[in-house]
Amino acid sequence: MVERCLRGEEAAWEDLVKTHTRRVYSICLRFTSKEQEAQDLTQEVFLRVFRTVKSFRAGEGSFTVWLTRLTRNLLIDNYRRTKSERVTDSIEDQLPMLEEKTAIESRTDAMLAGREASEVLQGALAKLSPELRETVILRDLEGMEYREIAGALGVPEGTVKSRLNRGRAELARILRRQKVVV
Amino acid sequence: MKCTDLEALICDYIDGVLSGPERSTVELHLAECESCREMVADSRVALEFMSRTADVDVPPALVNKILFEVRTGGSAPVRTSKRRWISRFFEPVLQPKFAMGMAMTMLSFAMLGQFTKIPVRQLKPSDLAPAKVWSTIEDKTWRSWERAKKYYESLRLVYEIRETLSDWNEAADGKAVQKPATGKDTASPEKQVDKPIQKRSQSDNKSS
Repeated sequence: MVERCLRGEEAAWEDLVKTHTRRVYSICLRFTSKEQEAQDLTQEVFLRVFRTVKSFRAGEGSFTVWLTRLTRNLLIDNYRRTKSERVTDSIEDQLPMLEEKTAIESRTDAMLAGREASEVLQGALAKLSPELRETVILRDLEGMEYREIAGALGVPEGTVKSRLNRGRAELARILRRQKVVV
Repeated sequence: MKCTDLEALICDYIDGVLSGPERSTVELHLAECESCREMVADSRVALEFMSRTADVDVPPALVNKILFEVRTGGSAPVRTSKRRWISRFFEPVLQPKFAMGMAMTMLSFAMLGQFTKIPVRQLKPSDLAPAKVWSTIEDKTWRSWERAKKYYESLRLVYEIRETLSDWNEAADGKAVQKPATGKDTASPEKQVDKPIQKRSQSDNKSS
């Protein structure tokens, strides 16, 4: 598909975008927790793919790993750029979060699932550090192999596993504080 | 075995991919280490919760938006490269530090003007007319040239006067030195007295 894109076939670009949009958007949304921001970042990822696809070498890893690395780098850049904005946002977000918490607390007997659980997870992921967050997203939500994650993040596999353990444990603690898990 | 050595194995243990001996090593460690046991339990809780979450819904218009962006971005590669070339050309000027430097320079000049009391006149659009600018430059050049010429000539005149005066002084000194050498002025005081008498008689003649 990438070779066809490089040859300039428009249909190949369409196939590439259709195949990978869900994955890229999902990573962006899980990382940023904001739909509009995730959409903008997904568009930016594909624009970058379009500009830099020539630098992709099939021998150096799969296209999925290359695309994930590109997405991750863009997310980290965006995370650093919007750091100051998030400080003010977090203060404004405190009131709705408190309301949400009481709503969740009132229904601890029922098991959260589906879209509702997804929203709670979104809030919990946002509390993790970017390193732990990206590892948990790539492994547990995107189902990538340890080797692929190591390639995308540029760290050894051992580091990926260590971050994953810490990320999952931290996530469980956050969810427990919100009383959505026992 | 230390907890840090088992970190990678614990991950595989949770995934359920460990072979018999490795699994028993981890289980043996978990039986002794409470913090690792807690970590495994927490990881399972988190994994179980994540498995209950729904997949992300992609907005239906997103694919079309991306394809539109890619097409418009791709249809003008020359434009983007041109834009990039221009931005690269102006990159050093468009830096915040450059803007800050310019602002500081302007502020310094303004302060200097304020302290030295240099009159600052508001620039008008008519001042920037090429003909006006040219005539001003020409006028200023001509005035400067004339002023330099006048200064040079004045300087030359002063020099000539000084030269003449010094020549006269030298000539007067030479005469003064010559007279005592001949001894005439001490020998005939009558001749010196004669001169006013002669002058007086001439004036008498004129009046008569």
